[in-house]
Amino acid sequence: MLDVLHSLLFSTLDAAPALIFAALGAVLSERAGVIAVGMEGMMRVGAFCAAVAALTMPTPLAVVMGMLAGAALAGVHGFLSIRWRSDQVVSGIALNLVALAGGTFLLESLYGPNGTPPIQQLTRWNIPGLSSVPVLGALSGHSAPTYLALLLPFAFQGLLTRTPLGLRLRAVGDKPQAVATLGLSVPGLRWGAVLGSGLLAGLGGAVLSTAVLDRFEQHTPAGLGFMALAAMVFGRWTPVGAFLAATFFAFGNALRIGLVSSAPGLVELIPQGVLLALPYLLTLVVLTLQGQRSSAPAALGTPYEQESR
Amino acid sequence: MMLRLHVLALTALLCACSKQKEEAPPSGAQPPAAGKTEKKALPVGLVIDVGGRGDHSFNDAALRGLELWAAGKRYEGGKYVDATPDEVRQSLPPHLTSDAASFKSLAIQPIVLQSKAQEDYVPNLQLLVDQGARLTVGNGYMLANAVRTSAQENPKAQFLLIDSQVLDAQGKPMKLPNVRTVLFKEQEGSFLVGALAGLVTKTNKVGFVGGIEVPLIQRFEVGYRAGVKTTNAQASQALMSVYTGSFNNMAAGKQVAQDLISKGADVLFHAAGADGIGVIQAVKEARAAGKSVYAIGVDSDQSHVAPDAILTSMMKYSDLAVYQAAKDLVDGTFSAGEQVLGLKENGVGMAEVRVEFPGKAEALQKVEALRQRIISGTIQVPAVPADLASFQAAAP
Repeated sequence: MLDVLHSLLFSTLDAAPALIFAALGAVLSERAGVIAVGMEGMMRVGAFCAAVAALTMPTPLAVVMGMLAGAALAGVHGFLSIRWRSDQVVSGIALNLVALAGGTFLLESLYGPNGTPPIQQLTRWNIPGLSSVPVLGALSGHSAPTYLALLLPFAFQGLLTRTPLGLRLRAVGDKPQAVATLGLSVPGLRWGAVLGSGLLAGLGGAVLSTAVLDRFEQHTPAGLGFMALAAMVFGRWTPVGAFLAATFFAFGNALRIGLVSSAPGLVELIPQGVLLALPYLLTLVVLTLQGQRSSAPAALGTPYEQESR
Repeated sequence: MMLRLHVLALTALLCACSKQKEEAPPSGAQPPAAGKTEKKALPVGLVIDVGGRGDHSFNDAALRGLELWAAGKRYEGGKYVDATPDEVRQSLPPHLTSDAASFKSLAIQPIVLQSKAQEDYVPNLQLLVDQGARLTVGNGYMLANAVRTSAQENPKAQFLLIDSQVLDAQGKPMKLPNVRTVLFKEQEGSFLVGALAGLVTKTNKVGFVGGIEVPLIQRFEVGYRAGVKTTNAQASQALMSVYTGSFNNMAAGKQVAQDLISKGADVLFHAAGADGIGVIQAVKEARAAGKSVYAIGVDSDQSHVAPDAILTSMMKYSDLAVYQAAKDLVDGTFSAGEQVLGLKENGVGMAEVRVEFPGKAEALQKVEALRQRIISGTIQVPAVPADLASFQAAAP
């Protein structure tokens, strides 16, 4: 029994970080009022650039490169949606398409369709003493992003709710005019949030190609960017909420796998397809129970114009 | 509002995805090495499913049959370059290497379309027909309906459908005068790798990782289970089988494999497309952590992905089926009909075992004996889960 819990926890902690980072990125961008549909594309770019960079430099540095690449794509999104006030959904979708096709094109022309050559994976940290403890031992043996993914949401929540900067970020997503009357730059704050979300999405993608796998695989991230958006909505646009939702998705998946492998009799009663849909069914139930109350930032998706009121 | 926006975005994205496709440059338009052949190259189209190019597996096998064997070309950096005879020879399965000389490149021009979404299949097939493809290959069961639609609308065009019969709107098998279908007895190849897994496992626990639970993938599972049952009854009791629910999500494959390994499985067979890359990755990492674990590849010989970690691969020679159809087309002998290829017809098989383990020679001998008995018909490998319980390989 303890074994089962151990593998459940380990699997969750191993699979969740990419989703957590992307969900946090989405929260950051949307709390500042810019829709983050482009997460999938930013993750893909981050995953690709990190894998390519890791061929020539140490992997941790390559992860930073992946983050910067994600931020660069977010920069395009910012330029279109903040500077030119274009439709943020259209801009995000366009970036997703560019990243999808561009990633495949670059991969095939540089390395062939089979993915990049294998790279050095991020080191896994074995915490001495902890690995032999039952169940909790599953906390040991992950790479750095896992531990970061456990701490970052709370730091981010603190920043958002307890600091002046956090107040301004939230205000710029709810009432940008109010921020402007205080003499603060609405575009400046939104730019910061969008670039930050690009860094986080790039990190999420880089985790996929440097910690989960040891190369860029051509389908990466296979829809995880959209899952991140779902986690954000499910978590009511709060960092800790998004973290819990992302962890819940990863846990639900691990639970399904664990159930099927540990209790094969179950599959004869319930088809695996139903179990596959279980996390999402639960999401629907929770969203329904939450009722009508919307938690989305009030000015989300509305480009800021100084003259408007 | 927000939710609605996101839903809108997703729909728009899906629509937009279906518009874009990869088209092979018509670099093969000139006959390869003018003078060698006087005939004009026949265009042969291939639509691969959403798994895409570079899956190390099912799609790559069809591409190999068409591009490398039939056309003598290699796809590199977005265009075709001529392949050397050596490259062709090295890509041939062992039972054909003696025949290498007969794999001369044919006067055909491959046109490959990748599908990004299911809605792409019909337009892609139609595009190939419109471009004058003399034969159009639909690779994968996902294309069954699309091939039926296209074949009915274009009665003069010829089609090859891999992995499925032509199905009517109710899903019942039907025949069309311009479609050749090729099915494989995956259960027979899977039986062999299962038998080997049963002999190799030390923990007496083995696992199966499937992609989407459809009858095709179930044939892999059932054959594998039957193979394990034949050589190791204890492992057959404890066999763990999990489906990932996708063919393009390697993270899901890895998560499943990690779970099975942590529960003691030491041989994992996957039939999960690109998810399988994640399975192999998990096995690689477990080996690095000191566990003795093996993965068994599928469709193509996947040994090159992780040479130490791949015990063998269950081979499905769809490359040969595609090559044969192209050759028939060039020879003018292409005919519609249904082919079912098993071990006997060399349609499936087991890849060379390149890793070393104690008792290897003996194990391979046993598997070879089983192979002979399947070919001679004394073992009938079950193909559907219902037949598994009553399956019992008679003692030799």
